[in-house]
Amino acid sequence: MPIFSELRRRNIPQVAFVYIVGAALFYWLGVVMQTQFDLPWWTNRLIAILLVIGLPLALIFAWVYEITPAGLKKAVDVDQTQSIVFKTGQKLNAALAVLVVLAGVAMIADRLLPELAIVEPPPVPERVFDQPVGDNVPEEIRSFTLDNGLKIIVWPDHDIPNVVMYNFIRAGGRNEYPGITGLAHFFEHMMFNGTENLEPGEFDRVMEAAGGANNAYASNDITAYMNWFPRSALDTIFNLEADRLANLSFTPEAVESERGVIASERGRRVDNDNTGKLYEQMMATAFIAHPYQFPVLGWPSDIAAWTLLDLENFYRTYYAPNNCTMVFSGDVTADEIYTLADEYFADIPAQPAPAAVRTIEPDQLGVRRFTIEAPSQTPLLDMAFHAGSATDPETLPMELLLNILVGGDSSRLHRLLVEELQIAISVGGFQGEGFDPSLAYLSMTLPPGGDPAAVEVRVMQALNEVATAGVSDAELTKARNIILANFWRKIATIDGKASSLGNFEIFHGNYEKLFDLPSDIENISNDTVRDVAAKVFRANNATIGVLVPAAEEKE
Amino acid sequence: MMLKSRIVFVVFCCGSWALALAQGVTLPATERVVLDNGTVLILNEKPDVPMIGVRAVLRGGAVADPDGKNGLASLFAALIEKGAGQRDSAAFAEAVDSVGGNLSANAGLENITISGDFLARDVDLMLELLADMLMRPTLKRTELDKLRARSINFILAAKDSNPGDLMPIYANAFLFGDHPYGTAVSGSETSLSAISHRDVLRYYEQQIGSDRLIISISGYFDVADMRDRLTAAFADWRAASGDIVDVNAAEPQAGRRVLLIDKPGATQTYFWIGNVGVARDYEHRADLDLANTVFGGRFTSMLNTALRIESGLTYGARSRLRRPSKPGSIGISSFTATDTTVEAIDMALGILGQLHDTGIAEEMISSARNYVLGQFPTRLETATQLAAQFAVLEAYGLANSYIDDYGVAVTAVTAESITSVIDAVYPQQNDLVFVLLGDAASIRDSVAKYGPVTEMSITEPRFRPSK
Repeated sequence: MPIFSELRRRNIPQVAFVYIVGAALFYWLGVVMQTQFDLPWWTNRLIAILLVIGLPLALIFAWVYEITPAGLKKAVDVDQTQSIVFKTGQKLNAALAVLVVLAGVAMIADRLLPELAIVEPPPVPERVFDQPVGDNVPEEIRSFTLDNGLKIIVWPDHDIPNVVMYNFIRAGGRNEYPGITGLAHFFEHMMFNGTENLEPGEFDRVMEAAGGANNAYASNDITAYMNWFPRSALDTIFNLEADRLANLSFTPEAVESERGVIASERGRRVDNDNTGKLYEQMMATAFIAHPYQFPVLGWPSDIAAWTLLDLENFYRTYYAPNNCTMVFSGDVTADEIYTLADEYFADIPAQPAPAAVRTIEPDQLGVRRFTIEAPSQTPLLDMAFHAGSATDPETLPMELLLNILVGGDSSRLHRLLVEELQIAISVGGFQGEGFDPSLAYLSMTLPPGGDPAAVEVRVMQALNEVATAGVSDAELTKARNIILANFWRKIATIDGKASSLGNFEIFHGNYEKLFDLPSDIENISNDTVRDVAAKVFRANNATIGVLVPAAEEKE
Repeated sequence: MMLKSRIVFVVFCCGSWALALAQGVTLPATERVVLDNGTVLILNEKPDVPMIGVRAVLRGGAVADPDGKNGLASLFAALIEKGAGQRDSAAFAEAVDSVGGNLSANAGLENITISGDFLARDVDLMLELLADMLMRPTLKRTELDKLRARSINFILAAKDSNPGDLMPIYANAFLFGDHPYGTAVSGSETSLSAISHRDVLRYYEQQIGSDRLIISISGYFDVADMRDRLTAAFADWRAASGDIVDVNAAEPQAGRRVLLIDKPGATQTYFWIGNVGVARDYEHRADLDLANTVFGGRFTSMLNTALRIESGLTYGARSRLRRPSKPGSIGISSFTATDTTVEAIDMALGILGQLHDTGIAEEMISSARNYVLGQFPTRLETATQLAAQFAVLEAYGLANSYIDDYGVAVTAVTAESITSVIDAVYPQQNDLVFVLLGDAASIRDSVAKYGPVTEMSITEPRFRPSK
């Protein structure tokens, strides 16, 4: 029998074709897998070698064996009258046809589909981003501003699969007036209480179900909203934030219920907290003109009385994209934040800029004093002095000085009052760093029976000493180191990164100034610190508040 | 190739995302060294910012305070910051502050911890101060006298300004009674007054030593170098002479009882309602965490939804677990205006009943699972957090799988498993301890319905009613 007809009878050509086309498809699949799964470079070569070796083996196998209705048998043992090689040949032809079609589809897909692949977003042109200017700014930080005025800053950090988002609204207690005191803070609560699309409480339920958590705070200057979430919730967060920025809507019932929550918050932070009581009265006394005099939580009569219309006006005026700054930090890229921001926020219209706060606190004309009588065992003494705003050149020297005076157990006032004289049990202090000039604030807690007047005298002596003799070089170095270490502590977390960038952007006009802080503190001299102390720590510039035990009620 | 490879890619991403979520967070590599004197060193290099975080833990803590001298461990911890090695109190504080460092010692229920973080450039100073605090504290009598007086005054100040902060102290004291878990860790006015200089010296000799010390350190350093430094500093320290106190599990409260702490003129009532809960190594921890997340562990929890979001009765309501080595406490806490005290407590009890009666729906379990897994990574982000975490695992004898396998365990929680945990852990309505702090004259009569009331004044110099 001629060898060629026997080859054909045993379907060897079909087997060869099926093998070759199948092998090509298999090899192509291998290439795809290799690129997507980052397999080592030699995997494709190995597949190719195995496939080539396999061809002669397959052909020899096909020559030697034959498929029969009773299973696989050696071809020589098969009774030729019972052979079904023809049927097998037909099946092989069909398989070949299917494989050829598949290979054709693969070839076309390979050539054409890159253009059809819509899954991949177009790359964001680098020009939409403001490039960091300072060479001390981490190069991965990007910022951009949408046409509606919304500015967004992104600091990618891929250490953990989480993201932090801050939304800063330029609205706080300073934007209030008698009758609506506490409204900015109340609004902070109402931002969680329903939109045209979401029931009250649903904002939080949706966010938490996606793995996110949130909080918010209001201050004299701003209101800030924070979301902490896994990367997987990015879309959800944009959706929620855009919705409440564009479609906030709440019912009178929700307003009434929230009034109770605020009253409870005030009860905890002010009415049942002596330090809170004293602080509230201090702000109301130290400021006679500027709205920093209003408690952020609001006066109780205003909490009880503000109306839906007050809320609507406030929302329209301040909750506009051009009055917000957002900061993202964590497991994101600037490109994806831009793409999402463009999709979710770009259509929210800008609003006219809110009216500026015009009032400037007039110079204080003499020391102010007030006393609170309250049930207590430990008297309190607060002393506050009018100082600068966040951008005032005197503010950073004052921050250094406050560290020297009350920062830590080695500070001057702690050593003097707590350790040596033991006329106070704790001392503290801070400086309001807002849009407008605020206070350098010292607070002392006294032991039972302590004499606030005696403590006040000692504090004023210590302040006068700084104002005349300045501080030591060692103290200045210490204060610099405290601020520097706190800077690093802060940016060790994605939350600290976002809040630091945001605070510098809002209060200093440019987030990049955050990274000038280490050099800025180096440039402050002892003389500057002394001059600032002399300017601020004057008796005529002081407001002194004491809280003393209420006199026993007579039976 | 693009579309198919995209599909492959998307499938791959979903798969790995689900896997990552299921796996949660895994701890980074550490080197663990046990010195001959028993001290355990745990080192983790983490060079993302130029800082080093250290956490030293001494097993023992406030449960070892002698009867009537609660606060001894706490005073001791404060005292080792007030002079050690060649430095007196002022010089020690100056050394820490001058480089912008943090270094403080605090007592807990079952350990004393020293936490520090310093710029990496100041590592020598940090190790010197740490070694001095532990091995060469001055323990000066005059400093003790000042600290004791201050600690007492801090309690008085908290009674004036932060009564809510004192609630856990009152609650544990009333729930656990004479059991060591009822101790006021930072002491009471009475117990602090009873602590002498000799008590402190004896405590240092008996309870503080190398055999119960763990030093966990993470941050910007070379592991081999740090291991050598720590070994050189601590290898020669002595062991403590006394045993570590072994605590028996407390019996849960059967029936009800109420403690009312009178703060005349208070406009709010602070309340805690609970019983004995579970230990740190409770085997169904993932189920319990999800249950507590839903019940009172997040903003939209059942408790906060009812008491805050829907009724405006309070600024916040939650449920908390304290999980020491033996079962600690589990309780609901909140506060409300004096005249809504009963309304708020009744509502909280109603929610507890609802938890037992209807359990937690599948959808809510899935929400809580996402929440717990989504928030978990932020707890292990910094060197300081990692150092603390490694120290806690070591102190409680827990393997890294306590963290590494947590994601898988959380993923495996089912409606059935969570129901049985709720039944086992959350107190039943008839077995509850109530602790209320507020204006007794206004609420005394109306809260009597919760059970037999014991009353004390907030000005009493201790945290439990006199017998």
